[in-house]
Amino acid sequence: MLSSLQNPRQAAAQLMNFGLILSTAFMMWKGLSVITDSPSPIVVVLSGSMEPAFQRGDLLLLWNRNIFSETSVGEIVVYNVKDKDIPIVHRVVRKFGLGPRAKLLTKGDNNNSDDTELYAQGQDYLVRKDIIGSVVGFLPFVGYVTIMLSEHPWLKTVMLGIMGLVVVLQRE
Amino acid sequence: MYSSLVRIQNTFGFFTTVAFVIAALIAASDFITPRAPSVGMLKTTNLQVVRGRPHYYSSKKEEYAIIKFSLDADLSSLFTWNTKQVFVYVTAEWPSTSSTIGATIASNATANQAVIWDAIITSPSADHLSNLGPATLKKLRKSAAGKAIDPSRGKLSLKNQRPKYQITHPSGKIAETADVTLRLHYNVQPWVGVLTWNQGADYGLWSQLSGGLSRKFTLPGLKKREEAKKTK
Repeated sequence: MLSSLQNPRQAAAQLMNFGLILSTAFMMWKGLSVITDSPSPIVVVLSGSMEPAFQRGDLLLLWNRNIFSETSVGEIVVYNVKDKDIPIVHRVVRKFGLGPRAKLLTKGDNNNSDDTELYAQGQDYLVRKDIIGSVVGFLPFVGYVTIMLSEHPWLKTVMLGIMGLVVVLQRE
Repeated sequence: MYSSLVRIQNTFGFFTTVAFVIAALIAASDFITPRAPSVGMLKTTNLQVVRGRPHYYSSKKEEYAIIKFSLDADLSSLFTWNTKQVFVYVTAEWPSTSSTIGATIASNATANQAVIWDAIITSPSADHLSNLGPATLKKLRKSAAGKAIDPSRGKLSLKNQRPKYQITHPSGKIAETADVTLRLHYNVQPWVGVLTWNQGADYGLWSQLSGGLSRKFTLPGLKKREEAKKTK
């Protein structure tokens, strides 16, 4: 019990180890961000507007490069509305024009009307730079942990507490 | 060494490894299943352009194209054990009128694309997730009772289908637009793995969508009904 506190060398090694794990996770996230050219390459679905394709808690893998073709109708994109910080996952249903200034309209498969009402005041269409990625991969349920954590903030404290205890009590 | 904490950690680690390996295998099984989707017929049956407002409180008047169409398609090979749903959509596509922008970029990309009709075809295993009324859902479930995969749902036959979406252009003008074509697309949503769309070439066991493009047509002038020429 608390053996690490009596051995400063071991305590330092454990601290290093913990830091290494954290920095590895951070590097992998940022590396993925560079590869996919997306500020947030993995997103968790928060709403049911794309049901039955995506439900709350599903994990989506994004890709934000246009190597072979530009973002076009039918792709499921994640976009940010001006001045709002909530990413929205919807399908592109209309595209007018070509290139970075093409006008894009999105709609959730499960919604009756398109997203014109979700956009900012006076904004009728999205442009390419509003989009942070197109969905290419899908993993169910896994993201539900983050929804639980954001909806029940006390879980965060509990988890951090357990992780801290484990680090301190580990004797290897 | 063998504290209960270590045991719990090992069990959880093993569980996640197994879960991820199984998920990866299921996702990979998509690529060894042949796909041969085909469209027998896609043609317009009635074209109409009317004036209207984008929403109730708008004073702006825009032109809207109402394109009725007929479709025969066989997408049954897209339904496998890893298929959650297939999203089928028909787009109207037409080139840009001011060719200055379009000319500099690849000519194979169409400048204007708009979905006029779409449908979600769920696999029987995903029926419970679909947003349907209780009666429709019951009917849908009954149609595939006892079946985990129902490829017959991929056979589409629409006659003189009304469009779900009346399309317009940001300029508000769409009447007498020339060189418009209808095109059928699909998007396969897996239970786990990679999302796929109709591809332009054959990749391995997946052949490209045969057919799925209508003849070029010109939208009529305002409020004039015009019977589209029979394509086939």
